[in-house]
Amino acid sequence: MENKNEVKQETSTTDTTTKPESSEIDDFTPRYLDPTQLTFTRSEVGTARLEIQNEVCHLRVVVRQLMPLSNPAEYISIAADEDTEVGILVNPSELASESLKIVQEELDKRYFTPTIQKIYRVKEHFGIHEWEVETERGRVTFSVRGLNQNIKQVPPARLFVTDVRGNRYDIPDYRELDAQSYQQIQRHL
Amino acid sequence: MATAETPTGTLDTLPDSLEETLQNLKTPIEHIRFAVQSDINSSGSYGEEWFVLTEAAIFTVTGEGDVLHYIPYESVFGIRSEVVVDAGLLVLETEEGTVDLIRYSNGCAAKFGFVARFIGDEIEFRKGKRDEAPIWDYKSEDHSCKSCGLLLPDEFSPCPACTKKHKVMLRILSYIKPYRGRAILFTLFIIAGTLISLVPPYFSRILIDDILRLNELANAAPEASETQLGALFRGIQPVAIALSVAVGTLLSIQLIQTILSVIQGRLAAWLTFRIAANIRAHVYKHLHNLSIRFFDKRTTGTVISHITEDSERLQDFMLEGLSFLAVQMFLFFGIGGVLFWMNWKLACLILIPIPILVFGAGWFWKKVRSLWHRAWRRRSKLFDVVNDSVSGIRVVRAFGRQKGEVSRFGAANIDARDYETHAELIWATYYPPLMFAIQLGTLIIWYAGGLDVLAGSMSLGTLIAFHGYLGMFYQPLRYVSPLINWASRSITAAERLFEVIDSQPEQLDDGTLKAMPNISGEVKFHNMTFGYDSHKPVLRDINLHVQPGEMIGLVGHSGAGKSTLINLICRFYTPDSGQLEIDGEDIKQIDLNDLRQQIGVVLQDPYLFSGTIAENIAYAHPDASMEDIITAAKAANAHEFIVKFPDGYDTEVGERGGSLSGGERQRISIARAILHNPRILILDEATSSVDVETEKKIQQAIDRLVQNRTTFAIAHRLSTLRNADRLFVIEKGKGVECGSHEELMEKQGIYYKLVETQREAANVRAAAQAVER
Repeated sequence: MENKNEVKQETSTTDTTTKPESSEIDDFTPRYLDPTQLTFTRSEVGTARLEIQNEVCHLRVVVRQLMPLSNPAEYISIAADEDTEVGILVNPSELASESLKIVQEELDKRYFTPTIQKIYRVKEHFGIHEWEVETERGRVTFSVRGLNQNIKQVPPARLFVTDVRGNRYDIPDYRELDAQSYQQIQRHL
Repeated sequence: MATAETPTGTLDTLPDSLEETLQNLKTPIEHIRFAVQSDINSSGSYGEEWFVLTEAAIFTVTGEGDVLHYIPYESVFGIRSEVVVDAGLLVLETEEGTVDLIRYSNGCAAKFGFVARFIGDEIEFRKGKRDEAPIWDYKSEDHSCKSCGLLLPDEFSPCPACTKKHKVMLRILSYIKPYRGRAILFTLFIIAGTLISLVPPYFSRILIDDILRLNELANAAPEASETQLGALFRGIQPVAIALSVAVGTLLSIQLIQTILSVIQGRLAAWLTFRIAANIRAHVYKHLHNLSIRFFDKRTTGTVISHITEDSERLQDFMLEGLSFLAVQMFLFFGIGGVLFWMNWKLACLILIPIPILVFGAGWFWKKVRSLWHRAWRRRSKLFDVVNDSVSGIRVVRAFGRQKGEVSRFGAANIDARDYETHAELIWATYYPPLMFAIQLGTLIIWYAGGLDVLAGSMSLGTLIAFHGYLGMFYQPLRYVSPLINWASRSITAAERLFEVIDSQPEQLDDGTLKAMPNISGEVKFHNMTFGYDSHKPVLRDINLHVQPGEMIGLVGHSGAGKSTLINLICRFYTPDSGQLEIDGEDIKQIDLNDLRQQIGVVLQDPYLFSGTIAENIAYAHPDASMEDIITAAKAANAHEFIVKFPDGYDTEVGERGGSLSGGERQRISIARAILHNPRILILDEATSSVDVETEKKIQQAIDRLVQNRTTFAIAHRLSTLRNADRLFVIEKGKGVECGSHEELMEKQGIYYKLVETQREAANVRAAAQAVER
C-alpha cells in the first residue's frame, strides 16, 4: 500500500519537494500546519485526501485528536498513513468550510464514542443492568455488568459506561442531564 | 474463479425481504456466499447495514436494499479490520485506492475481524501465496447462557440468571453440612433464647397486677387474676415472699438468658469462621486451576478481593447477620402472636405506624447508604493521593513539587470532608424523626391502653407488659431495610465467590489426557494462528519444527508476537486454529502437570517469592538437597555472591526480591531453572536488564543451562543469540525467516537489517567511548 501511495503521489503532485524521511533525519520538532495551506478533498472511493499547498498531496490521511476527552475540537494530528505524522493542526475551524467538513467527518469515523443525552431507563436483571438511552447517534439499548467496574468517573462529573460487548458511552456531565435521566443514574450509582 | 469453501450460515442471515430486494435490482446481487450485518450506518448513526460477499464482488447495502459499495472481488488485494475509538472499520485495498467499506460497533468487531481474516487469506490463497485454503471456523464470541440465552460477559462466568438467589443461599448452607450437629444445636439455642426473652414482660405483668397492686386494692374487692400464674402468686402470703419469689424467678431467667447467649455466640463464632475458611480454601485452590485467560480479564485487585473481601463479607453476614436475622424474625412473629393473644384490639393499633416505619426506614437507609458510599469513595480517593505521592516521594522531592502535592491532598481532603459531613448531616436530621415514628406506636398504646385501664377493662400490668413486648416488636422493623441490603450484598459476595468456583478450569481431565512424564522436547507448529481476542490474531500461520535439544532464537520487533509464541508453548493459552505439538502429541491433550514439570522459564524481570534464597532456588523441588541447590547456584554463577551475604543461602528476599540487584535476581532465577531441570527451556530477555560485566556471567550460566535442552530464547541484543542453532524471525505475527545466522545474513532479509542496525549502533557507541577517552 505504501509503495502504491508514493507512486501516485509523484504522478498527482506537481511539486514533490524534499519530503523528510522521518527515520533518517532526527527531527523532533513538531510541525504545526498552517490551515490556510491545507485543502482536504474526497477521492472517488471516499477517502480523505490532503493537499499541502506547494508541497505534497497525501492520498489517504488519518486524523486523530490529541486530547479526545478534554479538548476534542483542537489539536488534530494528521498522518499520511497509520504511522507517519504529517503535522498537527491546532485549530481546524480556521480551515475552509469544505475542508473542515471532511476533517469532521473523518474524526466522526474515528471517534465513535456515543454521548448519552437522555436515559430512558436502567433496569437491573441478575446483576446485568440494561440501559436504554438516547445518543447523538440514535436510540440504543445495551447491557452493563457490575456497574462499579464498568462506569468510570472522570472528575468532576464525567462518566464513561462500558457495556458487555466493549462499547463505551460518554456522559460528559451527569449533573446536566434532565431530571429523569439524572434520577436513573443516581439510583444506580 | 475457484472459491475456497462456501461457508454456511454461521454468520448473519439476510432477511428474506432484503434478499428479494437485492435479487430484483437492475443488476441483481446473486450467488451470495455470506452476509454480515453491521449496527452502524455509513453516516455514523445506529442502524442496519450489510456486508455481502458474492462469487464475484463485495457489496455493502443498507437495510432497505440500497447498494452503497460495489467492488469486484478481483480488484481487491487487501482487507483489514481497523480498530478506531470505540468502533471498527472494514478497510479494503483495491486497485482504485483504499476504501473505507463499512463501520461497525465493538459488538460486531469479532465477526468483521473474522471476515477480514478469512477474505484476506482467500485472496492470498488465490494468488498462490498460501498453500491451504482458509478454513471457515468462525466461533461466535458472544457467550450466552446455554439454558436461558442471557448474554454472559466472558466464557468463564456462570449465568447469573440461572444461579438463583435461593440456590446461592442453599450453597452457602451446604458448607455447613460437615458441622450440622453444632448447626442444629445453634438453631435450638436461638429458639430457646427467643422463647425465654418472652418471659420477663409477662412477669412484670404479674408483679404489678398480682403483687404490687394488691395492697393498693386491698380495700376494694380484688378482681380475680387474669392469669393462672398470677392467681398462684396471689396465693403466696405474705406479699414480700411473693415479691422475692417473682424477682428471683426473673433473676434466674436473666441468668439463663445470659448463659444461652454466651453459648450461642461461641457456637456462631466456631461455625462461621470454619465455614468461611473452607469457602476461602475452596476458592483459592480453584483459582490455581483456572486458565491464565481468567486472570487476563480481571485485575489482580479483583482477584485478591475475591479471596479476602468477599469471603469476609460473607463471613460477617453469617456470623452476625444470619443469627440476628433468625432471632429477629422469630421475635417478630412470636411477639406479634403474644400481643394479639393479650389484647387483639390494642394489637391492631400497633400496626398503624408499621407502614410509615417500613417505608420511612427503607427510604432513609437507601439515602444514607448512597451518601455513605459516596463519602467512602471520596475517602478512598484521598488515600490514593497519599499512596501516589508517598510512593513517588523521590520524584516529588526531585521536582520540588511538595507544595503542589500538599495542595492536591488538601483539595481531596476537603472534598472528603464535605461528603462525609453531608452524609452525617442527613443521618443526624432524619434518624430522630424515624425514631419518633416508632415512639408513635408506643404513644398510641399509652393512650388507647390507658383509656382501657381507666375504664377498668384492662389491668395496669397488662398494659406494662404490652409495652415491654412492643419495644421488642418494633426492634426488627427498624433494621429491616439495612438487613435486607446487608443480606443481598453478602449474597452478591457469595455469588462472586461461586463465580470463581464455577469457572472452567484450565484443563478438564476427561480421561483422554496423555501422561507424558518424559518428553524429549520436539516442538512443532503447524499453520498455527492465535490471538488474545480471536478476531485480532497476534500470530498467524506459524510453521516451525524444532528438534529435541535444538536452540531457537526468536527475533523480531517488539510487539511482533515473540512472547505470545512462548505463552503458547507454556500452554497458558491454546491456539485458535492449526496445531501445536510436543513430541507429536497435541499440546491440548498433554497432562498439564507433566508438561509444566518439564518446562522452565527465565524471564526478563524474574519474580522471586518471599522466602530465603535457598527456598527460591528450590521452588520447583522443595525437597531438593543442599548439595543440589549449591550445584545449581554454582552453575548459575550465583554462588559467588550468595556466599558474601551475611546470611548466605538463608538471606531473605522480600517481595520481588527488593534487596537484590537485577543481575543477582536473574542468576537466582537461572539457578531455579537449572535445579528444575526442564526439557524445554524458555529464556525471555534474560540478559537485557544488566550491565555488560554481569551479562557475561549470566550468559555463561545460560550457556551451561541450555545444553541438551530444547531452548527458545528471545533477545533484543542479537549477540546473545549467537549460540542458537536456528533463528526464527517474526514480523507482524508471521514467521518470515528461519535459518542459522550465516544463512540469514546471506539472505540479506529482515534479520540482516536488524543485525546491521545494531552493529551501527554499537559502532557509534564504541566511537563515542573512544572520544571520551
